[in-house]
Amino acid sequence: MSGLLDPFGLLRDAAWGAERFGRSLIGQERIRLAVTGLTRAGKTVFLTSLLANLLAAGRGRRTLPALEELAGKRLRAVRPAPAGVEGLPRFDVAAHLAALAADPPAWPARTEDLSTLELVLELDRQSMLGGLLGTRTVTLELLDYPGEWLLDLPMLGDDYARWSAATLERLRRGRRAEAAAEFLAFVDALPPGAPAEDSLARRGFALYRDTLRACRDRLGFRFLQPGRLLNPGPRGETPLLWFFPLPQPARGGLATLLAERHHAYVEAQRRDFFEPYFRRFERQAVLVDVLGALHAGRDAFEDTAEALAAIAAALRYGGGWLDWLTGTGVDRVAFVATKADHVPARQRDALAALLGHLVAAPQGRATGAGVTTSVHALASIRCTEDDVATLDGRPVAAVRGLLLENGRSAKVYPGEIPLRPPDPGFWDHGFFEMPEFQPPKLDPAGGSGVPHLGLDTLLAALIGDVL
Amino acid sequence: MSDRPPPSSPPASPPVGPRVILEEETRSPPPRLDFEWEQAVVPVAAPRPSVRWSGIGRLFGGLALLGGGLAALDAANFVADQFARGPLQGWATLGVVASGLALLGGGAWRELRGLASIRAVDRARSAFLRGDLATAKAEALRWAGSVQEAAPLQPAIRNAASIEELRALLQPALATLEARAALLGRNAAVQSFAVTAISPSPGLDALIFAWRGVRLVRQVAALHGLRPGLAGTLSLLRRTLLDAATVAATDVAVDAAARALLSNRLLEQFAGEAAAGAVAARRMLRLAKVAAEACRVVPPG
Ligand SMILES: Nc1nc2c(ncn2[C@@H]2O[C@H](COP(=O)(O)OP(=O)(O)OP(=O)(O)O)[C@@H](O)[C@H]2O)c(=O)[nH]1
Ligand SMILES: [Mg+2]
Repeated sequence: MSGLLDPFGLLRDAAWGAERFGRSLIGQERIRLAVTGLTRAGKTVFLTSLLANLLAAGRGRRTLPALEELAGKRLRAVRPAPAGVEGLPRFDVAAHLAALAADPPAWPARTEDLSTLELVLELDRQSMLGGLLGTRTVTLELLDYPGEWLLDLPMLGDDYARWSAATLERLRRGRRAEAAAEFLAFVDALPPGAPAEDSLARRGFALYRDTLRACRDRLGFRFLQPGRLLNPGPRGETPLLWFFPLPQPARGGLATLLAERHHAYVEAQRRDFFEPYFRRFERQAVLVDVLGALHAGRDAFEDTAEALAAIAAALRYGGGWLDWLTGTGVDRVAFVATKADHVPARQRDALAALLGHLVAAPQGRATGAGVTTSVHALASIRCTEDDVATLDGRPVAAVRGLLLENGRSAKVYPGEIPLRPPDPGFWDHGFFEMPEFQPPKLDPAGGSGVPHLGLDTLLAALIGDVL
Repeated sequence: MSDRPPPSSPPASPPVGPRVILEEETRSPPPRLDFEWEQAVVPVAAPRPSVRWSGIGRLFGGLALLGGGLAALDAANFVADQFARGPLQGWATLGVVASGLALLGGGAWRELRGLASIRAVDRARSAFLRGDLATAKAEALRWAGSVQEAAPLQPAIRNAASIEELRALLQPALATLEARAALLGRNAAVQSFAVTAISPSPGLDALIFAWRGVRLVRQVAALHGLRPGLAGTLSLLRRTLLDAATVAATDVAVDAAARALLSNRLLEQFAGEAAAGAVAARRMLRLAKVAAEACRVVPPG
């Protein structure tokens, strides 16, 4: 989507760029931090931990030492921006924290709708004249959303025919084919030129939906489109969603109907999801559950990499002359391997290194646009301690924590984390699902933040330069 | 023992697959992991902001040094020359220079004090936000010493045991001050309403409004024991005007006050034709409210 084709978008970009610039001049900067992550990557937990720890840091607690070092103790106070007239729910940190601290604890449920929150950091000015000008504020704009919806962004550039061809090609590959067998048989048996019969469309849709659900829940695949089909949002399923890919070239009433729905869906997602939240942002944190993808097997691992690359290709990182002209563009991107507490300390570097390979394509794209990038391993909420387990008579480094399901203490040996995408032999030991751990003891009010691993270095890399 | 048997027999050498190894079940459920985070993150010392010379700061510093230094050198040379002419001329010139310098120094000193008093408000607020009882107490005491209404509170402040208690103690005095600020605001509102209703040009309106606004902010500051100089007033004004966040919250109160004020019989006669006056009056009321908020030693809410 070239900016030239969309003059209004360009004007809005320019207005946005001018506003941000003006704000930075009077010391009231706004920064949109886009947190992108596939479903279950840990976005909601990350936002909860980020908010709790920044609010605690504003109260003088030393929960984020690396950030504090950069801010030079200039951080005065941190508060959520007062609610204005937004039509979206607010991200409820207090409720998430209370649930995590409760007995028995509960992790946030799958996110089903958008929610936003703005955090105002109040800072002393660095200069001697600071007293004259008063304090400076930096407002962080944050958004939480269902991870599945992110896969709608790559759909924005395609028409129905191309989308169908690519999607079916993917579905016929590897382990997806078993889960999709029934659906593939259905579409392959459709006569060319099938009429726009509602029952056909509904049946195809139901089969397609079951296929995607199985791929997500049983096989750990992530590149599943359209995202709203897996997570329709608060309004539930609407006829807009009732489309599925058809073998190309397709003619006839059914194909036309499905193409119309596809087009309407794409436009709705562009209007409601991409334009307001992902067209423009300054910083980005790309959260990836590297270990989960690794344990789900080779196909799922490669699928995750493919999904991340497709999403990155759909975002604008700036660097072009139009971006330069309108003053928009991304400044920093951090790639983050979440749930780093699932591996013992000495394997965390390997986790980050592996992530580096997994996101080579998105990282290359961002660096090409002149964006500063970095790779991190992070545990938003640390739930384990390092321990040693004995496997087959040999001691191995493991982590120990309480299992969420039964409260029993368990050691988990996460396997050897390869430094780069592993060779075929690696996948021989089959699939494994990391158990969910209980969060540690927490203050339900979150007065002192929450225990984390590496959140401070991540934030320093992301927003350290504006503090 | 493993609760998930490996699907195929693991290879004899590493890598072995991931495993979950359950530990012996104990009678009572094991306690949640505790990293003693609450203790680990308590601040070791009160934070002190670091100050750095920015580009603009250096520029102004350099200009001031050049201007001031050269002028001083010039003056010294001049005094020496005058002494060469004769002792009477010499002493007279020295006297003039010295009194001029004293005045300048006095002015600068007052400016600095004014600015410092405003920084003290910030210190107090951040202490309240952080929950730092010792600093909050010290600042509250200093504040109580400078505000007549709060002077009798000093012993109670010394004995306060918690931040909440301290807040509660200061609340009534602050409420009084707020009421007084509102009264000042109403006076200013009536005056600017009247002036805009009769003044011939909008430009003059704006000028009068600005002057009255600055005066109002200084009056409110004085209520709170602050004596802002020029720099301090500027700092207060900026804070007052730019703090958009508070405006939405105060608007309701301001609306009510404006309505009460303008429902005065006499003013109603004007209000119809002098809508500009009504706007000016409303702005004054808001200014008083926001200025009072900016001067409070205890953060609102
Ligand atoms: N041990 C550990 N587990 C984590 C951490 N972060 C997330 N998890 C686990 O990962 C699960 C998913 O995290 P969420 O934050 O809800 O994931 P999400 O990205 O918001 O997922 P969607 O809402 O479906 O898009 C949680 O229920 C936790 O079990 C972490 O830092 N440590
Ligand atoms: Mg979520």
